[in-house]
Amino acid sequence: MIAQFVRSSKPFHASRLSRAGQSCYSTTPSKPSLQHVAQLRKLTEVSISKAREALSQTNNDIQQALEWVKNDLAASGIKKAANVQSRETREGLVSVCMLSGGSRGKTSLGGGGIRAAMIELNCETDFVGRNVLFGQLAADIAHTAAFITEPTDSSTIIRSCSLDVLNDAPLLSQNNPSSHSPSTVSSSIRDLIAKVGEKVSLKRAVTVVQDPLSGQSPNLGLRLASYLHGSVGSAPHGRIGSLAVLALQSPELARRLESETFVKDLERLERALARQITGFDTRSIKSSDGDEMALYNQPFMMLGGESANKPVRMAIENWSKQQGLVRDDDEGGIEVLEFAKWSVGDIVG
Amino acid sequence: MFRLAAQRGIANKFAGSSRALRASSLYARCRCSTWKPTSGPFLPSAVSWGNRRGYAEAAGKFSRDKPHMNIGTIGHVDHGKTTLTAAITKVLSDKGAAKFTDYSQIDKAPEEKARGITINSAHVEYESDGRHYGHIDCPGHADYIKNMITGAAQMDGAIIVVSATDGQMPQTREHLLLARQVGIKKLVVFINKVDMIQDPEMLELVDMEMRDLLSTYNFDGENTPIIMGSALAALEGRDDSVGKEKILSLVQACDEWLDVPPRDLEKPFLMPIEDVFSISGRGTVATGRVERGIATKGAEVEVVGLGNTFKTTLTGIEMFHKELDRGEAGDNMGCLLRGVKREQVRRGQVIIAPGSMKAVKKFQAQIYVLTKDEGGRYTPFMSNYRPQLFLRTADITVALTFAEGTPDAEEKMVMPGDNVEMVCELVHDVAAEAGSRFTLREGGKTIGTGIVTKILEYA
Repeated sequence: MIAQFVRSSKPFHASRLSRAGQSCYSTTPSKPSLQHVAQLRKLTEVSISKAREALSQTNNDIQQALEWVKNDLAASGIKKAANVQSRETREGLVSVCMLSGGSRGKTSLGGGGIRAAMIELNCETDFVGRNVLFGQLAADIAHTAAFITEPTDSSTIIRSCSLDVLNDAPLLSQNNPSSHSPSTVSSSIRDLIAKVGEKVSLKRAVTVVQDPLSGQSPNLGLRLASYLHGSVGSAPHGRIGSLAVLALQSPELARRLESETFVKDLERLERALARQITGFDTRSIKSSDGDEMALYNQPFMMLGGESANKPVRMAIENWSKQQGLVRDDDEGGIEVLEFAKWSVGDIVG
Repeated sequence: MFRLAAQRGIANKFAGSSRALRASSLYARCRCSTWKPTSGPFLPSAVSWGNRRGYAEAAGKFSRDKPHMNIGTIGHVDHGKTTLTAAITKVLSDKGAAKFTDYSQIDKAPEEKARGITINSAHVEYESDGRHYGHIDCPGHADYIKNMITGAAQMDGAIIVVSATDGQMPQTREHLLLARQVGIKKLVVFINKVDMIQDPEMLELVDMEMRDLLSTYNFDGENTPIIMGSALAALEGRDDSVGKEKILSLVQACDEWLDVPPRDLEKPFLMPIEDVFSISGRGTVATGRVERGIATKGAEVEVVGLGNTFKTTLTGIEMFHKELDRGEAGDNMGCLLRGVKREQVRRGQVIIAPGSMKAVKKFQAQIYVLTKDEGGRYTPFMSNYRPQLFLRTADITVALTFAEGTPDAEEKMVMPGDNVEMVCELVHDVAAEAGSRFTLREGGKTIGTGIVTKILEYA
């Protein structure tokens, strides 16, 4: 204890000097203890040499060392990121964040608009892709993208999100939205690069942000469906992901949405549609008959039951009738408007 | 098998005199397949084949003197897995126990096909004083899993590579989880790049942290050998104290710490039944190819599977219409069973040493589902999918479900290309144990392949 005290108090000036000029670091006499290095590593997951450097720069003071690591991660992250820049990243995750899933009954919160994002974050090996830190970052970036996007008037509902804008946006953590960390998306990516030593890159992002239509017409509603395949555990990311926008049209809509059983049934159908898009080789929604790459022509295997052998088009028409959304041959019911489907490692033109 | 056939084909091209040679070579092959740890150098008679065949290199004669085992390297991309592999071959090639394979040859990890499944992996081989090693290096988690499921290169042990400058990294957990998942019980740790750090005390920390982590994932953290050295130094032939010597002690640690899996001959007898005949005056004969172990005439055996399990005696063994006193792994033979009616025995059952295996109805398995490109399905399947399961000679309908307690199991789907853990419930019972491999087929095409991980219900 005393020895440690003496050791840590002595080189005070030296370390101050060395902070002014990085080059004299190696002559710093302060020698960090093993316990401190171990502790710092548990807290930050930085490499041993970094942890050691941090402690010798801060006189074995864990608090200061933490601060030092935080500042250094930015610098070393940039350096490391530059080092690995040329490498290929073909593994990783697709992550979806859904902040608002669409029209609901009056009693529910959320207003009925839709707001969601899907992103793909890449790394070099699937070992890193399976790691918690990586998954957490992917989820946070998806959350950020969904959060910062403003509704605009455009022809499509699913819009690709500018990576430049997203990279400079402050990272809004999903678990802890109130925390005001100063890091941006790109600096968080660099922090992770410094920790896992692999190239990590944000490949693409799309967002869906639309205000409720109910103001214009009470008979119209929008809903979101998503499915992620191949997730580790129950995390909101996977190897393949899809995000689909559905429209509901019915004079009965507002009343039906009040019913809990209807909403449950609707959600079940939505999940089945999202799985259908993901599981099958789906490229479009509608097409000429016999085109199995069009969603509406595929047998609706994912809904199960007697719908399994019927094409999706017929199955959802029947569903709309059964649920009392449409009567006889009226227009309306449920329809898939748009979808996006990504697999990790897709080659994007 | 293929090698044998190739030899025969070539041998037939040579008239007369080569007959005798062929016989002696086959004899040698049979001899060396009965492995004896104490046996001397390989019989010279087979050497002459190298010159003629042009099939394996002249010097590339595989000797069975030493027990063989497969090990793999697992580690972070920058920690020097490939350099270490190259260094091992370099150091051992000095002793003539390996062929030096340089970095670029290993790093490519060529795509290969095993049971029709595409796997990325690099293989090298080398010998220590006591063993022959096949060394596997794969780029990713999924490749190691595919290796395990197909049995293409089952890893019996692994070297975890960690850099001294970084220490363990967040993904080291994933590396250890993988090792657990592919059934590795013992590991050796190589701490690389020790020449890159200034403070040797930090090595203690790497050591300490690794042992901690190993224990967390149920490996023997206390006794696992941890070797500290520099693969690059060994490869470049400098600083022998951290280079070459450490590579040698790593190989020695593998020899001493990692357990060689039991060889087929040492395991209890098992012969899958391929066909059954009734021979008048003799009785019922079941034929098949012995998978493992040795059976002698007069031995007690058990017929297991397909709802009919019973004990009997092996009253005769026959191969090529000649009587034998014993049959062993690799033999195609017929078994005469005492007091057994033809209807009691069927293709798909197995004849085993009594009690060495049981018939199972339900088990958990790790399954790889083939992609469309590999000839598999092009659509996903859901819980309760019922393909045909082929295990040895048995062909049984199986229901695949998700393990009990899986959330939303009825809505979960499995896509081509997935590695999944599923519960298999068989229509008929069949002899199986953890480690048994099977394929899944539907409509005449293979859609998946798997390995039994846990037995849930015996017949």
